[in-house]
Amino acid sequence: MNNILELHQVCKAFPKQKNMKSAFTLDHVSFSLPYGAILGFVGENGAGKTTTIGCILNTIVNKEGTIKLFGRQMRDADTDLRERIGVVYDSDNFPSYWTPTKLSQIMQGFYKTWDASLFQSYLDRFKLPAGLKIKHYSRGMSMKLAIAAAISHHPQLLILDEATSGLDPVMRDEMLDVFLEFVQEEDHSILLSSHITSDLEKIADYIVFIHDGKIILTASKNDLVYNYAVMRLKESQFQALDPDDILAFRKRDLQIDVLVSNGKEAAGKYKDVVIDHTSIDEIMLLLIKGEQV
Amino acid sequence: MKGLIKNNLSAVYANAKVFSVFLLLSGAFTVAVISQSLLIGYVLSGIIGFSVCAIFATKNEFTSKWGKYKLTLPVKRSDIIKSLFLNLIIWLLIGTIFAAVGVSLSWLFHGCPFDYPIDILSMFVLGISISLFTGAIFFPCFCFSGAEKGEVFLIISLLGAFCIDLIILSITNDLLPKLLAPGIAVVFSGNAILLLSSLLALALSYPLTISLFCRREY
Repeated sequence: MNNILELHQVCKAFPKQKNMKSAFTLDHVSFSLPYGAILGFVGENGAGKTTTIGCILNTIVNKEGTIKLFGRQMRDADTDLRERIGVVYDSDNFPSYWTPTKLSQIMQGFYKTWDASLFQSYLDRFKLPAGLKIKHYSRGMSMKLAIAAAISHHPQLLILDEATSGLDPVMRDEMLDVFLEFVQEEDHSILLSSHITSDLEKIADYIVFIHDGKIILTASKNDLVYNYAVMRLKESQFQALDPDDILAFRKRDLQIDVLVSNGKEAAGKYKDVVIDHTSIDEIMLLLIKGEQV
Repeated sequence: MKGLIKNNLSAVYANAKVFSVFLLLSGAFTVAVISQSLLIGYVLSGIIGFSVCAIFATKNEFTSKWGKYKLTLPVKRSDIIKSLFLNLIIWLLIGTIFAAVGVSLSWLFHGCPFDYPIDILSMFVLGISISLFTGAIFFPCFCFSGAEKGEVFLIISLLGAFCIDLIILSITNDLLPKLLAPGIAVVFSGNAILLLSSLLALALSYPLTISLFCRREY
């Protein structure tokens, strides 16, 4: 399968800052995003999502490992590759004194393929006034504007860093529809970093979990939703488990939750145990807050 | 590059608009009254003021996420720096035009405002040189330290530029009369040295700023 984005053993170390317990390190991060897919990049705040995106986009320069976009390593001079990427950050994407009209005029100077009429159609669709300064926009409106700007030069890859955080459920749903429309083209892909896992459950094809700068799990969403499961066990049942079956476990007051990668297999192997389907939220909690054998 | 220049011009535009109103009012007053020191003040503030507006806008650009966003656009980091230097020169020219209009009107209404016409040239060279030195000091410091310390580096750059110009002027005032016959040649050579040294500083600052910016992480 062809990948639009590939990260191989990417490392980045930051020196220890004042008031920090330890230095942050991005530790051998590897994953890939196939053409036509949406990859959800999940992790708690400070896990390394934005740093990884910084490495991909070259806003962070001194890193180790290999990152390939469209099959090539992107250097600063490769502006043709950046023509094919749309980016949305979580806030303040554009100067607050601009209006969308001004934004369109300036973007025309950056992108050879900037489509002013497409941008205008998104402004109409999102009900964004073209003549109003961005400083008067609500957070939801400015995020919609950033998304409209990111896709109005016909990119193939969208990189969204917490683009849906801070939006109400209605707006988030509207944005998710836009993302789904975007990947209708089979050579389009999205890397969507978020800690709102319900969004990813709706649209992502693959999920990558990052914690403390390390990738702790990469799986297809269907695998997570249909195969991964949580066993609710008593202490004695937990002791009888094969450690190879345990991905992570978390001790509760009256039970122990155990994450397994194949619920059906576990049900066949262990009788008289409660096995529930799980959500990405619960998987994330178990992987991050739970313990490994 | 076109996008960067448009962006930089628009970043300065709002501040420059306010500054233009101030210059128009102070220019009208300067033209109306006969005062050499007022005219000197007008010329220097016109030339340096617009340059400071341009430099200040750079700081604002990089304190918001837009500074980081720009790096994801199809432009090279070196082009971002090139556009900042170009922007400084564009606003320096605009400031020089403002100052030239003020001096011309004053001359038109009241005659030559200085003892010798070449003093007007010296005044313009001083303003241009201070602006160029300010940019030459500010841009690499800014790229090295980050946007958070932008204000303090702007003040340091401006004061540093004044000091450098004063040092160059005192050296040329001491040395040139010993080397050249007194007269217009001394003044002209002094101006040329001031202008060339500030242009050289800007030319040296450019690759240094690029090299620092290319290593900067956002």
